[in-house]
Amino acid sequence: MSTTAMAFPGNRAVTRRPRRVSGFWPTSPALALLIVFFVAPLLGLLLRSVLDPHPGLQNYAEVFASTTYLRIFMNTFIVATVVTTATLLLAFPVAWFLAVAPRRWASLLFAVIILSMWTNLLTRTYAWMVLLQRTGIINKTLMSWGVIAAPLPLINNLIGVTIGMTYIMLPFMVLPLQGTIRSLDPATFRAASLCGAGRLQVFTRVFVPLVASGIGAGVLMVFVMSLGYFVTPALLGGTSNMMLAELIAQLVQSLLNWGLAGAAALILLVVSLGIYAIQFRFFGIRAAGEVE
Amino acid sequence: MLLDFDRLGALRAVLSGIAVLVGAFLLLPVIVIVLLSFGSSRYLQFPPPSWTLHWYTDLFNDPDWLASFATSAEIAIVVAIVATLLGLMASFGLTRGRFRGRETLRAVFMTPMVMPVVVFAVALYALFLRLQLNGTFIGFVIAHLVIALPFAIISICNALEGFDKSIEDAAVLCGASPLEAKLRVTLPAIKAGLFGAAIFSFLASWDEVVVAIFMSSPDLQTLPVRIFSTLQQDLSPVIAAVSTVLVALTVLLMVIAAFFRRGKPA
Amino acid sequence: MNVTRRTVLYGAGLSLLGARVGSAATNEIVFTSWGGTTQDAQKKAWADPFQKSSGIRVRMDGPTDYGKLKAMVDSGNVSWDVVDVEGDFAVAAAKQGLLEPIDFSVVDRTQLDPRFTSDHYVGSFYYSFVLGFNKTALGKEPKSWADLFDTKGFSGKRTFYKWSAPGVLEIALLADGVPADKLYPLDLDRAFKKLDTIKSDIVWWNGGAQSQQLLASGEAALGQFWNGRVFAVQKDQEGIGISWNQNLTAADLLVVPKGTKNKAEAMKFLAVATAAKPQADMAAATDYAPINTDAAKLLPANERATLPDQHTDGQINLDMNYWADHREDIGKRWYEWQAK
Repeated sequence: MSTTAMAFPGNRAVTRRPRRVSGFWPTSPALALLIVFFVAPLLGLLLRSVLDPHPGLQNYAEVFASTTYLRIFMNTFIVATVVTTATLLLAFPVAWFLAVAPRRWASLLFAVIILSMWTNLLTRTYAWMVLLQRTGIINKTLMSWGVIAAPLPLINNLIGVTIGMTYIMLPFMVLPLQGTIRSLDPATFRAASLCGAGRLQVFTRVFVPLVASGIGAGVLMVFVMSLGYFVTPALLGGTSNMMLAELIAQLVQSLLNWGLAGAAALILLVVSLGIYAIQFRFFGIRAAGEVE
Repeated sequence: MLLDFDRLGALRAVLSGIAVLVGAFLLLPVIVIVLLSFGSSRYLQFPPPSWTLHWYTDLFNDPDWLASFATSAEIAIVVAIVATLLGLMASFGLTRGRFRGRETLRAVFMTPMVMPVVVFAVALYALFLRLQLNGTFIGFVIAHLVIALPFAIISICNALEGFDKSIEDAAVLCGASPLEAKLRVTLPAIKAGLFGAAIFSFLASWDEVVVAIFMSSPDLQTLPVRIFSTLQQDLSPVIAAVSTVLVALTVLLMVIAAFFRRGKPA
Repeated sequence: MNVTRRTVLYGAGLSLLGARVGSAATNEIVFTSWGGTTQDAQKKAWADPFQKSSGIRVRMDGPTDYGKLKAMVDSGNVSWDVVDVEGDFAVAAAKQGLLEPIDFSVVDRTQLDPRFTSDHYVGSFYYSFVLGFNKTALGKEPKSWADLFDTKGFSGKRTFYKWSAPGVLEIALLADGVPADKLYPLDLDRAFKKLDTIKSDIVWWNGGAQSQQLLASGEAALGQFWNGRVFAVQKDQEGIGISWNQNLTAADLLVVPKGTKNKAEAMKFLAVATAAKPQADMAAATDYAPINTDAAKLLPANERATLPDQHTDGQINLDMNYWADHREDIGKRWYEWQAK
């Protein structure tokens, strides 16, 4: 149904593409790039994980048998979930604001968001270290206001990682979401309220479903990014909530154990793809109006 | 009515309040960095004991910092352009194509985001060593392209899916070729998605550290690599000065852009 | 900037044609180290004199990355000629066949501290792990490693080196009462048990700069540091103390990756880098000790006083051979323990 072949008088007839494989070719350059420069190294990795140091599956056995690795896997998913949730809770109102507020204020906030994105990631993370320290400005201020008696542990734990990563992920969720909200037709909302829907109902039954795809895209992007992240968690987190990427980095760069690193990485990849698959099955991003 | 700011009532205060708080949250580290760059303490002490400009003189007197600025910018711009282009084509295929395994293909395109960067870096580096691409500009671009592509695709797919295709079809019916219709109707309509793709791709490359460490050579060092090794070794506020200069440049660019946009409709 | 830009574009162009950018010519070598002021000092003390005397250009690269080094050697496409690495890595890498043997007909072995010299590596500089503390934050002065584990007597966070490397485990054992000559083989269970007693008070530093930051800001009241770092903080602010009691020495070593195309030139560079005067210059600039036994004489007395080789009372040399042999096993247990 993607292209019509209605022949209007005096009009060019649109070529009808063969039904079976239609519209694949535009993906081929990107796909070619991925195959050569991503899939091939990945396969190399897979080979390494079953050949290094001896042929066999012992690297995988080692990962699954080790409670440490399993705990780190769990940590990684927990942190990613917490960060994604926090990001969504903040990003949604901000995106909404950006889409509907008067131009001046929206542009200002937009500028602030872009500005924070442009500051180098490492530098931003270090700034948070300075801010969140026990002797840092946040604790000092709270103590001088008498809000707390002893410094709060804001760093080297889950709190620090969440703050740091949410900070970095926010723009990634806000920008697509505000674009989606902006593209909504206010007429739909008016129609809903004309049909008697109250505010809350319009929100839950019109607003949210319409932006679901934007939310879905943002959530997926942030969650997946968080899984593989390691700079910020390494600097702001404690070792007891170590994330998988940091462990893998140690394996690769400190212990030079590429077989094990490869196995851990591939397991993470498979699990994440599994989550993707589930996501698409249930919340599959469908084009507006497309009839499958 | 939820989209009409003036008729939101109490919600308006809530949204505005959150927006202000988040804005402050986003600005806080940036402000800290700017202030630190003028601080006299060698350590990132906040508030700094006194003020100085010598981190800036150190920075501008060091040709290596300027070189890494240039390198990072060059690579990131090329990556942004190519990623948006490839992402655009791929998104057309993913949103409009009808072939088996389409959703699988979409997932495949997302996988570079999932892969722990350090593993990808080593694997790709090993491949590049064989292909003699290590330490080359084009090798760098390719490596960052793989990383940036998922962002471009997500952004553009999102925009394409929110786009009503019947407008494009109508253009075709009115006599445009399919390509023309895409160029003159669809692309302007998904402008925000394209912009997002370019920005995210640029930033993905601009900020990228791990792969860059592997791809770097004495001639080709990006800013993040420089910052990383300085942070590990020295923690000198020169880093803060570097970031402040970037912030200043960004503000300048935004002001210029605002001037040009005056008078154009939203 | 123009020259560099031109070089970048030229290099890009060349590489598009398939040529390799790097030290293909035999009149230049690549020296890789950890960046920052240490590498700057190495450049001034070693690379510049070498360039002047031999005419061979020295290009700086970094940071040292073991993953990258191994990948290079494995593929046969080696672009680093001389690399500054940590002690235990050099020993392990030599065992794994990743390094070229040192040509001692070019490098003068007689003046080199034998602790840091072997077939496949020579010393770069050596340092001690010392007990650093913030007097203002603590109110009193800790004297020994055992004090690090005394949270009642000395309250506050402690900081240790984050990565699996010689130092922390030995400190834990010493603090637990193990005599210095009975440290090896390391009783890992005992060390981890001791560390468990203060685990929740530990803040890890993953780079020298961060350790300085923690000490200077008082975020960590005391901890294990590289001596040069404590000294640097002391220069900048009051109230920082150091204890050399049972200091633990370790070294950075210079290695030549296997398969480098500029082996002869690399050896010549090593000869200069390990000579007395360049070593003395390096020590003066960084406060790390020279590995050339004649270099110390060339330093003025006040600078010598802060070097590890002046604090040999009770000094313990970390056993690089032991670590090289058990690197993997210890590493695994270390990271497992950290993640708990």
